[in-house]
Amino acid sequence: MATVSHNLTQILTGEEEAAPPTALDVLKQAVEERGVLTDEDRRRAAELSGLPEAAVYGVSSFYDDLQQPRGKRHVSVCTGTACWASDFGAHVDDARSRFGLELGQRSDDGEVSLGETVCLGFCHTAAAVRDGGLVDAGPGSVERAVIGSDREAPEPEAGSMLDEPVLTTTGTYAGLHRALASGDAEALLAEVKAANVRGRGGAGFPAGLKWEFARKASGADKAIVVNGDEGDPGSYIDKYLMEQQPELLIEGMALAGFAVGARRGFVFVRSEYPRSMPILREAVEAARRDGHLGENIDGSGFSFDIDVAEGAGSYVVGEETALLNSLMGLRGTVNARPPFPAERGWHGKPTVVNNVETLCNIPYIATHGAEPYAGLSPDGTPGTKLICLNDRFQRPGVYEVRFGTPMEEICNEVGGGLVDEREIKAVQIGGPLGGILPVTRLEARFDFDDLAEEGCMVGHGSILAFDDRTDIRALARHLLAFGAHESCGKCFPCRIGLQRGLEMVERPGEIDRDRLEVLLETLELGSLCAHGGGMPAPIRSLIAHFPDELGVSA
Amino acid sequence: MDVHVDGKRIEVEPGTTALEAARAAGSYVPTLCFDDRLAPFGACRVCMVGVEGAPAPAASCTTPCTEDMHIDTTDETARRIAGATVELVMSELPAPPAEHTELAEVARFFDIDEPRWQGEQHERDLDERHPYLVMQHEMCISCGRCIRACDEIQGAFALTATGRGFEANITAGLDSGFANSTCVSCGACADTCPTDAITEHTLLEVAQSGVGEGEVA
Repeated sequence: MATVSHNLTQILTGEEEAAPPTALDVLKQAVEERGVLTDEDRRRAAELSGLPEAAVYGVSSFYDDLQQPRGKRHVSVCTGTACWASDFGAHVDDARSRFGLELGQRSDDGEVSLGETVCLGFCHTAAAVRDGGLVDAGPGSVERAVIGSDREAPEPEAGSMLDEPVLTTTGTYAGLHRALASGDAEALLAEVKAANVRGRGGAGFPAGLKWEFARKASGADKAIVVNGDEGDPGSYIDKYLMEQQPELLIEGMALAGFAVGARRGFVFVRSEYPRSMPILREAVEAARRDGHLGENIDGSGFSFDIDVAEGAGSYVVGEETALLNSLMGLRGTVNARPPFPAERGWHGKPTVVNNVETLCNIPYIATHGAEPYAGLSPDGTPGTKLICLNDRFQRPGVYEVRFGTPMEEICNEVGGGLVDEREIKAVQIGGPLGGILPVTRLEARFDFDDLAEEGCMVGHGSILAFDDRTDIRALARHLLAFGAHESCGKCFPCRIGLQRGLEMVERPGEIDRDRLEVLLETLELGSLCAHGGGMPAPIRSLIAHFPDELGVSA
Repeated sequence: MDVHVDGKRIEVEPGTTALEAARAAGSYVPTLCFDDRLAPFGACRVCMVGVEGAPAPAASCTTPCTEDMHIDTTDETARRIAGATVELVMSELPAPPAEHTELAEVARFFDIDEPRWQGEQHERDLDERHPYLVMQHEMCISCGRCIRACDEIQGAFALTATGRGFEANITAGLDSGFANSTCVSCGACADTCPTDAITEHTLLEVAQSGVGEGEVA
């Protein structure tokens, strides 16, 4: 657990009940209430959390949400990839000129400040603008924000390509009560292992194995942590699940707790989704009231309860060790593994960190078993997958598809092709660390192995179309600017390499291909986590499919 | 358990890292963020080695040995990545590190003189508020050794990492200088620093006034 040092985490680990609030909570509240952070706030955060003052200073300089000063109104424009693909940043320039402020600046009278947020999850209707707790999106959103008449953006369409949806349907808790009635946690674990549920957050690691490691780890107090930090620009799948299907998630968490022998769960939600935390808290309350959570559920002897926590603006916190650091109120930097969280995670306890969608698959398995689950995608990975389409498509939204569905079918039949009579130039699949598939390769099937052959990945499941107006060099710049901004700064290849990569594509003229290759290899093989390791993937796609437009030397 | 380093078989205790095994076998593995008084950190990625059967090189400081593991400290890919990383590190500094520093030594090992990367470098920022501990922020490479020495050796918790990405750096207290922090002036940070980003005033003055070792001798 050498996040900052062993001793520092010991300070926190020693607290059996991690007395809330964390340092991060205190700092966030100060910025939200007064728009500034003072040394007094930092000292108070240190006192309440037990962290040393220096460590609190480090936390305060890490997260986007703690950057200040902020005005009475804080307006953030979305600089995520879907909003970029829609107007190539015109809405950002529009906001700067209409507000007369640069990003990160506050007006002289202190009334308003302008910031940026990388993806507000309204990719189905760009461009998105956040004003306090309200997200407006779609044409005219910037204008409305300027005159203060912004309105709540419409939520996305959702649908399933299956006759009987698994993930786009309201959870019933039937799987949980069935498992508790049997009383056999080992059997549930075996079923989940047999179902071969691959993690839906990007890495695709089998959930059953993670659970088994945590179940076997020593220590009576274990935790289930849900990674609701869906930071991948262009992805709003977990947002949909947390806000529209929270019952599936809560049931999945309780089932994980039962299988692993954990009695507490946390959902870590990104702060860029202002609606998610209140909706989840309400759903948890309802689940307690209805006897799905709490002490001795169904008289089975199994107790489980859930807390909902919110992040503070950092993409890398979607990496599991960084997420646990953030949940403990520390800087959201990545730790070398081992130890894995399943062995030593939240406050040093064996911890399962699962993605939202991964856990939403579990109720089906607990109810129907592994075999019907495998049958959902006869020609692919077991189960189904939610995908989401950006607003370049005729029918943007969240859709449940079978693994193995051809990309062509997803783009042209599910998504209905593009708007404005535009053609697809390429699609980026699974987030900013995912490869980019040119329109000529859309016959590829949407599944782990098939996409890997194309230098792509399932990732988070977002499918983001770039239309024929898209400038490839500008796209590379957009992606690398995101990568460099979000590097946690711990490992050297990512910390320096992404900055150098950005500079290479920003500098006018031909890009030295050999130098770029050296950089990409160093990032891929040298980085500590998937952020630095994954950022080369889309750049490699652009080199392979659009070398002239990217402007690399032969 | 038995492991093999560059073809040489040695016996190690369970829990030994690949780096410890390599050093025990007498093989040189360059490092920047490692200090054997401190817990491994895994940040610099300079201690990369080849491991037989592994798909890619591994950072040896955070890789535990396994039974019959074959470690190659001269693995071509590992060396290439480590060298490229050191060159990236050199490119972020506005001036080359002093000859006697660990970074300069590692750069010499990889034959890196002038880094080929152009671009942004750290801005010069000298903090001389403490009577003799001096921080030259522009020379900080975010290896975290000073922070960990302060926490793990001294238990003073006076230092922290700041910012993120390319802007990452270090500071004392509430960015208030060593003297206005919980620093006990033990000098453990300066002692472990591989670039002289933290150093003791007198030595810095000597260096800046051009009085070299030769003249003193």
